[in-house]
Amino acid sequence: MELAGLAAGIAVGFGVLGPGIGVGLATAKASEAIGRNPDAAGAIRANLILGAALAEGLGILAFVLGILLWTRIG
Amino acid sequence: MDFLFPKGLHYPPEFHIPSLTGTEILRVGPLSYTNSHFTMLLVGIFLVTIAWLATRQKRDVPSGLQNLVEMLVQGLEDFVVSIGGPSARKYLPLFGTLFLFIVVSNWLSVTPFFGQVELLRAPTSDYHVNFGMAVIAWLAYQTDGFKKFGIGYMSRWFNFSGFKEGAFVGVIFVLVGLIELFSEIFRMLTLTLRLWGNVLGGEIMLVVMSGLLFLPGLAIPFVGFEVFIGVIQGLVFGLLVLMYFVLALEGHGEHDEEGAHTDVGEEHTLHLASHEQQPALQRAQAH
Repeated sequence: MELAGLAAGIAVGFGVLGPGIGVGLATAKASEAIGRNPDAAGAIRANLILGAALAEGLGILAFVLGILLWTRIG
Repeated sequence: MDFLFPKGLHYPPEFHIPSLTGTEILRVGPLSYTNSHFTMLLVGIFLVTIAWLATRQKRDVPSGLQNLVEMLVQGLEDFVVSIGGPSARKYLPLFGTLFLFIVVSNWLSVTPFFGQVELLRAPTSDYHVNFGMAVIAWLAYQTDGFKKFGIGYMSRWFNFSGFKEGAFVGVIFVLVGLIELFSEIFRMLTLTLRLWGNVLGGEIMLVVMSGLLFLPGLAIPFVGFEVFIGVIQGLVFGLLVLMYFVLALEGHGEHDEEGAHTDVGEEHTLHLASHEQQPALQRAQAH
């Protein structure tokens, strides 16, 4: 099925869009925060990693969905 | 030209996409022994050997391997204490083991011969391994929660205390509790898929990058990127498990005092759904 391939591409493409913006915003704010208060860099970094991982999880779910669709093609 | 492209030049080239799970080596009845099991065994032997070598002759003034291992353990301990406070130090063994195992396994996915030879495969790019770790961590923190609060631990999921303040608040409390219960079960799935998707996605990306343009070295910068991602994903898995322990052990109504760390630990997807109901909940608790 060619449509499954198309669906996989669209699912991954749009699914990664949101987490990309989210992780970018989180990193921008974290850099700003570290610039304001370098002493708190450790705590900010831990929270950044956690938040980025949680946002990225959605993109990974889209990727897994893409893989599941892609295995239907063959 | 024939030397570079023995099968002729055609685009796009045929990719050898990595398999989604491990392949079976031998089968005993209903149980199969896959190459992920074998590589997990190798990783375990490697880590135990390092630990044994480092602690064989302990010295007051460490040097060499003992120094390296002490630095690593000290760094992990500082990290755990900075996240969960001094009372979280008892979770250092669990966190550290998960972290070291996952990082070594992730690094194997960019090691030559792993994934190409039949017997070798990076364990964390097989979702069964990740699901096993997620289930064990999940059972461990639920057990800790039940140990601390007894059967009252379940009141965070089946919360009928709101009916004292009226039917509307009561219904909202019950719904929030059910969302919490669902997110609790969902955590196993997200822990598994986050790690699996990252490692397998990295492998696929390396394969695609190495064949995308006709440039042989195009994949090399991405190997460094994957090494970095491997550490981050190991840290994230351990950190989330640690956070779930902290959340399971904290009592009711302490969310506000705990502040920044615990808020981030809420589950992401369902957090969005429950977020609108959060102010109502807090107002009700304040009264």
